[in-house]
Amino acid sequence: MIQPQTHLNVADNSGARELMCIRIIGASNRRYAHIGDVIVAVIKEAVPNTPLERSEVIRAVIVRTCKELKRDNGMIIRYDDNAAVVIDQEGNPKGTRVFGAIARELRQLNFTKIVSLAPEVL
Amino acid sequence: MVVSTTLSLAGAGTAAGTRFVGEFQQLGHVEPKLSGKPRKHFGWFCISGHQLLNCKCFWQIPPRSRNLLNFKPRDLPLYFAYGKDAEDSSLSNVNEDTDEMFDKLFKKYGKVVFKRNDHKPPTAEIDDDAESLSFAVAMAKVASDVKAADIKVLFVKPLVYWTRFFIIATAFSRPQIDAIGSRIRDLAEKEYGKVPSGDSKPNSWTLLDFGDVVIHIFLPQQRAFYNLEEFYGNATPIELPFENQPPFGN
Repeated sequence: MIQPQTHLNVADNSGARELMCIRIIGASNRRYAHIGDVIVAVIKEAVPNTPLERSEVIRAVIVRTCKELKRDNGMIIRYDDNAAVVIDQEGNPKGTRVFGAIARELRQLNFTKIVSLAPEVL
Repeated sequence: MVVSTTLSLAGAGTAAGTRFVGEFQQLGHVEPKLSGKPRKHFGWFCISGHQLLNCKCFWQIPPRSRNLLNFKPRDLPLYFAYGKDAEDSSLSNVNEDTDEMFDKLFKKYGKVVFKRNDHKPPTAEIDDDAESLSFAVAMAKVASDVKAADIKVLFVKPLVYWTRFFIIATAFSRPQIDAIGSRIRDLAEKEYGKVPSGDSKPNSWTLLDFGDVVIHIFLPQQRAFYNLEEFYGNATPIELPFENQPPFGN
């Protein structure tokens, strides 16, 4: 359940460290974003000397949420943190590697690029 | 009168018979615990009538015996009387039957570890792999026809569960990426009836996801940037049949 003002970790090596959600892409007054949704976020903290800087506005895909993700087979997945992967306007990831486990739902949502860069897919 | 029902079934149904035998054995286990200080004293025939027929039995009911928890003195006469009637006629037979039955069942199922039924046999897996491989090689051939460079087919199934083959290719411009993508889409739909998900527009990293085969088409810069071959360095590269041919008929 990511909403504007939620802070998220960054799960890639793009150079950003912490994001804050400022908008959820979708319906005009959409309240919450879940795994696989695209958000507009601002970089609150960044690694020095990287292309991305603090206070830059970027798009990101949510890859992990503390709110549990339910599957049709009864499986429930809940992560310890809220995390996102920074993408550009075309949908390509800005980093070259994704860290941590991600959910396979991202593949169905056409984020196979992120899935193919991830070390583990649940 | 549950007991009488059990007994009447004992001769006919083996399942009921088994249960009945079990009860007998449990009662029998109590017998060695006869103690010098009997609490209950009954003048009835005992179950194990062979040894103790017509003699008085001294029973000490163990206070926490699981199976005898609801054991009440007023049930005893009924139970034992029926037990004695039944034992000679059917009990021995039931015992043998169940032993044989269990032996048979053990022979049949004893060594089987239970297994889910949705697992494919290894041969089917190999067939699927071969099918995906032929599809992947066909797609790589199409990409090479449209002059994609540095085509690599990787068998990534041992590394990731979600797909079998990666095809990584380089194109030198967006129109070329578009050409490769549309040729691959057309052929896959016409020959194999597969429709890819993934990028529909040409992109600097265009991805076509056919399920078992995932095709990545990069611009040279992006290919160096993402460096997928290194990330999947442990995957087995597949030799392509057209790779060794000289490019311009030398």
